[in-house]
Amino acid sequence: MPKEKVIRTACADCHVGCGVLVHVKDGRVVKIEGNPEHPQNRGMMCPKGLAAKQHIYHPDRLTYPMKRAGEREEGKWQRISWDEALDTIAAKFTEIREKYGPYAITCQHGGKPSKVMRADYALMHSMGSPNLGNSDAPYCYGPMPIAEGATYGGMISQEYGSDCANSNLAIVWGGTPASTHLPWARLLSLAVEDRGTKVIVVDPRFTVHAAKADLWLQPRPGTDAALALGMLNVIINEELYDKEFVDKWCVGFEELRQRVQEYPPGKVAETTWLAKDDIIKAARMYATIKPAALYQRASIEMQANSVQTLRAIAILRAVTGNIDIKGGNVSWCFPEGFLHQLAMLGKESKLYSEGRLSDEIEEKRLGAKEYPLLSGPSAHFASPVYPPALIKAILTDKPYHIEALWVSNNLLLCLPNSREVYQALKKVPFLVVREFFMTPTAEMADIVLPAAHWLEMDEIFSQTTNLITARQKAIEPVGECWDEMKVSFELLKRMGLKYFATPAQNAEEELDYIVKGMGMTFEDLKRKHVIVVPMEYKKYEKTGFETPSGKVELYSSIFKEHGYDPLPYHAEPPESPVSTPELVKEYPFILIAGRRRIAYMHSMGRGIPWLRELVPEPQIEIHPQPASELGIKDGDWVWIELSPPNAEGRVKNRAKLTPGIHPKVVQCDAHWWFPEKPGPDHGHWEVNVNALINGSGRGDPIAGTIVLTGLLCKIYKDGED
Amino acid sequence: MVKYSIVARRDLCLGCQACEIACKQEHDIPVGPRWMRAITVGPEEVGGKLRLSFHHIRCMHCSQPPCIDACPVDAISKRIDGIVLINEELCIGCDACIEACPFGAPQFNPEKNIVEKCNLCVHRVDEGLKPACVLVCPTEALLFGDINKVTEEIRMRKAKTAMLR
Repeated sequence: MPKEKVIRTACADCHVGCGVLVHVKDGRVVKIEGNPEHPQNRGMMCPKGLAAKQHIYHPDRLTYPMKRAGEREEGKWQRISWDEALDTIAAKFTEIREKYGPYAITCQHGGKPSKVMRADYALMHSMGSPNLGNSDAPYCYGPMPIAEGATYGGMISQEYGSDCANSNLAIVWGGTPASTHLPWARLLSLAVEDRGTKVIVVDPRFTVHAAKADLWLQPRPGTDAALALGMLNVIINEELYDKEFVDKWCVGFEELRQRVQEYPPGKVAETTWLAKDDIIKAARMYATIKPAALYQRASIEMQANSVQTLRAIAILRAVTGNIDIKGGNVSWCFPEGFLHQLAMLGKESKLYSEGRLSDEIEEKRLGAKEYPLLSGPSAHFASPVYPPALIKAILTDKPYHIEALWVSNNLLLCLPNSREVYQALKKVPFLVVREFFMTPTAEMADIVLPAAHWLEMDEIFSQTTNLITARQKAIEPVGECWDEMKVSFELLKRMGLKYFATPAQNAEEELDYIVKGMGMTFEDLKRKHVIVVPMEYKKYEKTGFETPSGKVELYSSIFKEHGYDPLPYHAEPPESPVSTPELVKEYPFILIAGRRRIAYMHSMGRGIPWLRELVPEPQIEIHPQPASELGIKDGDWVWIELSPPNAEGRVKNRAKLTPGIHPKVVQCDAHWWFPEKPGPDHGHWEVNVNALINGSGRGDPIAGTIVLTGLLCKIYKDGED
Repeated sequence: MVKYSIVARRDLCLGCQACEIACKQEHDIPVGPRWMRAITVGPEEVGGKLRLSFHHIRCMHCSQPPCIDACPVDAISKRIDGIVLINEELCIGCDACIEACPFGAPQFNPEKNIVEKCNLCVHRVDEGLKPACVLVCPTEALLFGDINKVTEEIRMRKAKTAMLR
């Protein structure tokens, strides 16, 4: 009888990358369990990774390349070989580069943290096209690096940047780590149990964290900047700030002091719907209980004023001296010579400056003109293409014609304004989609490529603060699924191009190159499995901060240079009870569009039986009082319509009545589709709120954020229209 | 004498339901039957305050299991270490144990046409391992062991926390 092998690897069903033990027998995965020895998760896992066996062996999984055999969306496919797929794509890309130039080839991927991002950069940048990036860039991990980059010169609220395990106070602001970053939630829970860490939760919803918190603030969605500035007002006026740190390491304190006078707690209470005393109490707790870790999440990045809100929060950490200290918020600790998977894409990166394109090409990146701190040569971080600009370019040929789109995610569902995205996907002359399953996006493709799963690939995972983990192949890919990096290198070879950023010219060499500077190979890393880099605190004492002044910039010189307000401020959402009271008569609810559920990451997982059993349908949370006025009962299907200028039309979610949400606020799920329903749309138009959100240009002026938190809507019971 | 048990510390549960999926995987349970359930109750208003709680409903491996008495074919037995087991070979799928159980713990498996339930991962326990749901829990909300050793562990933790505060 063949023996069962146990392979140590790391999950990739979300950004976190938990250590996993995979039991393999006869070349098949028989069981997945958490690795008790991995410092990240200590044996725990979440439903997504635990259900991965049902993903890889799913009967509907795409396991070979296909080309369209009928009209687009007709659902007729012909199986082709990888050779034919790659030859076709390479010939097409070569032709496009000659005829239209490299900019006409574009790419989108998700926030999916496998090597897809790096593989797409390798392919696109080597062809000379800057037009690629993660489609959630303007509202997830885009505004935050801009704000923190301008303030500190680097990020300190990345995964595990908020060091709650060693804190005496933790703030959970605008997120539910129990649904999205479970190992962080674990650390928080243990800190509360083992060291008595106090917890403040800022969230319009009574989350599991709010239920366990010492103080819960329930602000009006879209007013978090006012709250942060109100807390700064208290901390500065009551002289609770860290004077030594501010004197020595901050610039612009006087300007900040003046600015926060515009935000006295009484006024902020009115703006945010909070109690004045709670604002004062939160400010005093954060300033006096030290060290304090402040964890803020994507809901802040999804607001109309995302960057300045994040600036205000970044400044809270600075003036209380909670920067890069144990139990505060800490920046990455990686050894010299290690090419961090995110750092390699950004200026974060003394590590990997060669990964960037020339300024001349970067300036052509769609979005670089409108949002220079997000995209283009001035971008601090990854410099993604601005997705709405890409969609517009496809539809209008402005500023130039787009001939091809290479998609490694479920773009149609994951980008707001899906109707425009749909038109763009229909119009773009050549569309390649790489996927696991036949999603509504894949249904529109000319060529579909089957993707390898994390259980089927070698990779180096390091998105967290100080861990480097070897993700190692547990099984050979099912069918003809291919590792993303292998696809990129095969295409480059066929086009007669080289991966310009590294000497590596195949997937194996590329992994070796990432750790070469540490004097090791990927095989060495596999043997170690995980490297824990000792944490180093107050790194700024050696190097200063990587800002123009070398200090924490409370008053941002970078923002000033770009014509943005160098100090944070609160701005009303474009549609809100304050800015558009007339609209509120017809659209009385503030909508949070994009609740995250533990069973799913973005649009993934809806076809996985065990996960779907946990979360079978999209849900809208409504307070029982307005629900009863509208005749809505728990479990009813409820239609959602957004206020103008969002798209006309409606989507429905199943009602969940809960007093855990403000009576004037509702929250719905995002990214829903039903793999079991017929294509090409698989029912997404009826349920996915992104079909209605039409916010291009009305969001954040710095990051171009499309508003997802703080829209206006009306709701009514299905059958009453 | 040992009495093996899983003890749920409800106040630590985050409602992630990893325990449910770990159980599904460990025992290869199809959609439908759910041996372990982490049920969210709330948010609801209790005495003017919002509350949210989680309840792990599974076989409690009772000392006097009503399911044993109810089973007409003697398919259910209790081991000396407290683990209550249904014998798959003997079960006729009559559901009498489901009627008898005060927790709704026994689950009907439509693929096998028999009743199954949490067996405390007896195959793991016999190898000195923890049940799958316990291993996977992020907050150590589920503890496993001899019941009086588990309560001692809880007491030690409480005592330590009391000192910290």
